[in-house]
Amino acid sequence: MNTRRTPMNGNSQRSSRNLAQIRKAQLHDAGHRSSDNVLASLRATQIVASKPVLPAELIATILDYLPVPDLMRFARVSRRLQEMVYDDTRWTQKLKAMGVWNEHEARQRFEEAVKRKAEAQRAKEVEQARRTGVNLPGSVNGIAGGGGRRHAGSVTLFDAGEEEERYRQSLDKPQSPTLKRRGTLADGFDDLTISPSLPTSASAKPWDPSIALNVLKTLRSIRGRARHEFAKLYGALGPLYTDLARAKNHSDALIFRTYRDPEQQAQILANLKRFAQCDFAPGWQQREARLDSMIHVFETAVLREFEQGYAAGDIDGLMHRYAHVLVTINGGAAAVETFISTHPIISHALRAGNPLDCLEAVAPGHIDLAPSAKFFETLASIMREQAETIDRVFPPTIDVLTPFLTRLCGETIDPYLTALLDEAHSNKNNNNNNNSAETYLKAVSGTFTQSLHFLASLTASAASPASFLPDIAKQLLIQSYEKHLDLYLAEELAFFRSRSEVEVSEWETRQSAQEASTENFLMAGVSGNRQAAKRDFLSSFRKVVMMPVSVLPAFPLGSPFGGGGGAAKGGANGAVAASSAAAALEATRGASSRSRTPTLTGTPTHRPGTPASVVEAPRTELAAKAAVMNSRLEGIRSLFSIEVALNLTHLAKASIERAANLVRMGGKHGEAAKEQCAAVFVTLLQVLGERHVRRGFDKAVGHLSTYNPRQVRELRSSKSANVEDEDPETIQTVGVEPLVTFLELVNVGDLIQQMLEVFYAQELLAPRLIDRDDFLAPAVKEKKRFEQMLDERVAAGLNKGIDVLMEEVEFLCASTQLAADFNPGSEKLALEPHSHPHSNNHNHIHNNNNNGVTDIGPTPTALRITATLRAHTAMLLGGGSTDKAILDVFTQEVGLRLFGVLCKHIKRQRISVEGSVRLISDVNLYSEFVGSLRQKALAPFYRALRELGQIYLVRIDAPAASYFGGGAGGMRASRVSASAKGSSSSTSTTTAAMQAKELAAIIADTQRYGGVFTVEEVLGFAERRADWFAVRGEVERGMYGVGCLVM
Amino acid sequence: MSAEGEQSVKLVSSDNVEILTERKIAERSMLIKNMIEDLGAPGEEPIPIMNVSEAVLRKVLEWCTQHKNDPAPTQDDDADSRKKTTDIEEWDQKFMQVDQEMLFEIILAANYMDIKALLDVGCKTVANMIKGKSPEEIRKTFNIQNDFTPEEEEQIRRENEWAEDR
Repeated sequence: MNTRRTPMNGNSQRSSRNLAQIRKAQLHDAGHRSSDNVLASLRATQIVASKPVLPAELIATILDYLPVPDLMRFARVSRRLQEMVYDDTRWTQKLKAMGVWNEHEARQRFEEAVKRKAEAQRAKEVEQARRTGVNLPGSVNGIAGGGGRRHAGSVTLFDAGEEEERYRQSLDKPQSPTLKRRGTLADGFDDLTISPSLPTSASAKPWDPSIALNVLKTLRSIRGRARHEFAKLYGALGPLYTDLARAKNHSDALIFRTYRDPEQQAQILANLKRFAQCDFAPGWQQREARLDSMIHVFETAVLREFEQGYAAGDIDGLMHRYAHVLVTINGGAAAVETFISTHPIISHALRAGNPLDCLEAVAPGHIDLAPSAKFFETLASIMREQAETIDRVFPPTIDVLTPFLTRLCGETIDPYLTALLDEAHSNKNNNNNNNSAETYLKAVSGTFTQSLHFLASLTASAASPASFLPDIAKQLLIQSYEKHLDLYLAEELAFFRSRSEVEVSEWETRQSAQEASTENFLMAGVSGNRQAAKRDFLSSFRKVVMMPVSVLPAFPLGSPFGGGGGAAKGGANGAVAASSAAAALEATRGASSRSRTPTLTGTPTHRPGTPASVVEAPRTELAAKAAVMNSRLEGIRSLFSIEVALNLTHLAKASIERAANLVRMGGKHGEAAKEQCAAVFVTLLQVLGERHVRRGFDKAVGHLSTYNPRQVRELRSSKSANVEDEDPETIQTVGVEPLVTFLELVNVGDLIQQMLEVFYAQELLAPRLIDRDDFLAPAVKEKKRFEQMLDERVAAGLNKGIDVLMEEVEFLCASTQLAADFNPGSEKLALEPHSHPHSNNHNHIHNNNNNGVTDIGPTPTALRITATLRAHTAMLLGGGSTDKAILDVFTQEVGLRLFGVLCKHIKRQRISVEGSVRLISDVNLYSEFVGSLRQKALAPFYRALRELGQIYLVRIDAPAASYFGGGAGGMRASRVSASAKGSSSSTSTTTAAMQAKELAAIIADTQRYGGVFTVEEVLGFAERRADWFAVRGEVERGMYGVGCLVM
Repeated sequence: MSAEGEQSVKLVSSDNVEILTERKIAERSMLIKNMIEDLGAPGEEPIPIMNVSEAVLRKVLEWCTQHKNDPAPTQDDDADSRKKTTDIEEWDQKFMQVDQEMLFEIILAANYMDIKALLDVGCKTVANMIKGKSPEEIRKTFNIQNDFTPEEEEQIRRENEWAEDR
């Protein structure tokens, strides 16, 4: 009676969880159906109608809930159920749950097997071809292969065959139903061949406790053999596990009876813990809870041993042993915890230092970082010691140092820093004093650097991850600083701003007080090597900027920058440095005694002679140079001070470098610190630019606009009367004070700008605080604005300056040009228009020359004008980096305006033929000067002016020439008579007429003047001829000639 | 939503019996829930439950009523959730005290109607039935024919000796 129940196909076709199982079930069914008789299926359907049956997938689900022994019994029920139970995925799932299944390894094995199989197949084919397709040897072959199916690793002889068989086994599995169909004999054979491959070690032999210890490690991941592997595992651990679940207390449990060694006990417990992961059957919670409590009991006992070891300091004995035991059982978290928290530094039995030591007995604004350095040193030595101990106590698989450092940071460093910084900060609030703010800032930055040193001095323990030192430890430290960071950055900026503003306003009040008492009209000498001096100054500035601000003056571990060593050395060489500084200062003082520049320029040149000391103390040197510059630029002292600028940049540098320390924190805090650095720079620019430089420029421009040459001249003349040894050269170069001042100002402004540029490059670009290409960064924008502001002021000032300069030129023209200069004949009669102190000299010289008929060479007036102009423009040009465009505009403007002034001036003169030579040489002088300005656009004007000189050169021997000698009184009469004569003697063709015609031709020749003058204008100039009234008629006739003749 | 939960739906068993029930109860079944969502208008049209007879359907709905306030089953990790299922609740144990035929019917219905929790309870119950039984007893219980020869069966037993309790 066949009562086997066949599930309906419709059932199997439902949406399924386990396709493989169903497919197998179906195959199985198909196999049986074909071997059963026809009636069986009919009967089966009848029974299905009466009694429900579960489809394969549901049976599979049910099997999941069965404990292993029941599962194996279930396999004995029928073939189909055996298939289901034996299914590989069921066992891989269990192995995966325990984490001993390695999919990668399984795949690798599988692929290797496929390869080997293919090779073997080929070999077999070759063999078969040789044996000409006899069937029998094939089966022999199969039996021989079957012999190879032994326990893996037991026989090395059949290695290749074994792998192949294993593979075949796994491949055969799904196909086994079809094999089984062939008959019981084949079936029996198949089963028999499988059976010896089972782990007989676990089943046949009595249970071996030693296997259980390492069974988890020996498991392999082979597809198709998951059940066998699990069997090994279960055989080893199952008895212990079930025993544990049943045991009443831990002394009763089989484990503790079997194993005496704590290491082994721990290993077994750990194994069981993993084994429990595959227990899905109902009641697993109780079993697991029991296991856990067992482990806990065991752990507590071991931990007690460990603590005893710690108390005894038995590092290599008890501690080492029990640490390993604890690690084995559950990763050793308890041991690590105990180890860390019993350390004196963590349990606060030992105090590494008192944070308030740093703040005691120090001057305001300073901080004694030695105690904190000692603090960090103590910690570092503890860390080193611990790293070593950890290596000795713990196995190299667990990282103890990281949690230790975490605790150290959290419980020691953090409170220390908080106490120190809070104290420093609250001091500041109490005193409301900038100095205390500085203390705070220095404390933050200094301790941060120290903590970085602390980091650097750490040694990793063997077990700590590779990233421990660079990343983890740093992260931990940074956490301690995180909460201080925002406050610090805000303080830093506020501190810098207030300090720099105080600096500027202090200077301002000082200045206004000074200004009230003494009016400073001392002139800066126009030194030829100004540029050299400037370059010199800048180079020392650069040196100083590159040198770090020593926030940690006496840091024992060596400065982070490496330049700190120099600072320490600086102490030793202090004497040398001081003496060199003193020398420099002396030189400065010498220079400032105003006795002209040789000594002054000497100072920078002989300084390179002592480079050793210079390098030693660049700061003092810089200060000295600043003083030199300052004294040289005394003229602008009232406007702005390069010293103030220097101080500000120093402040900014200190701030930025303190903040830059924190940039090393990285991440968003680093970014914040960077931004703050940029903000400090922006503030520097604002305070320096807006408040200091700009005000200076505005003042200078104001001075310029109120300048009145006449007044000043008088003042100066009274002054120069007092100064006895004033040589003529000085007078020559004396310029328009406000303009000189202004031009010096331009130079200094330029210097400051260059200083800032260097500062920017050194402090912000070099340490990558600002991205060079990021033109939108606020710092870059602010810098641009500063430069723009400077340029604007310079342009505005120059505009005013030109006005003033031209006023000066006009004044010179009006005051020094003698009537006789261009009209020598009239000199004796003409009275001096006014007696000018300067013209006295020239009169004297001039009078000497005057005896000659013609005095060739420019007039003193022209000489002085050109000298004045040359001095001023040179000052600007010498400035170096003033904007080229502005310079061009300036010089062109100067040229044009000079041209205008000259035209006006000429029109004011009366020029005789004799005097014209001097005029021409004057004009030549002017145009030579203008030529030196290298402005092409100006050339035509001066060429025209030169040509214009020609009209005075033309000699017209008019009959009226005799009237000319008549003097001023006779002039008026002669004018009348000349015109009368001109009209009356119109018909007579004299030589005068010829000459007049020539002159007319010159006047009318517009080409000659290159379009600069029109004929009318030239005619206007011609009117200034001394003999104009005599020749006018002739000339006009010459010009408009023929028409008049006819009339 | 509460209005929706109180809506009633009409279910039709395989033997054409209409059963009126709350929507919330019916929606313990993912099959019905999806159907209602697809149809859009619950209550008007009766929902046919083709493979479940009236008696079984009522039994299933009884369970659903009891568990109507359970949290919705998680869809994602059915493999993992099966791994660590808890023991059967007391109420469920009583509920499952039915004859074997009914038990199987319930399991099939739960499978068909996609009520995961009920299916789990059913499977666990069956597993408990199997536990501790010899192969022969299992065969009897589940009405399975032994297609092994005695030698074969002995062979399998020896193969799996490792799993036997000692």
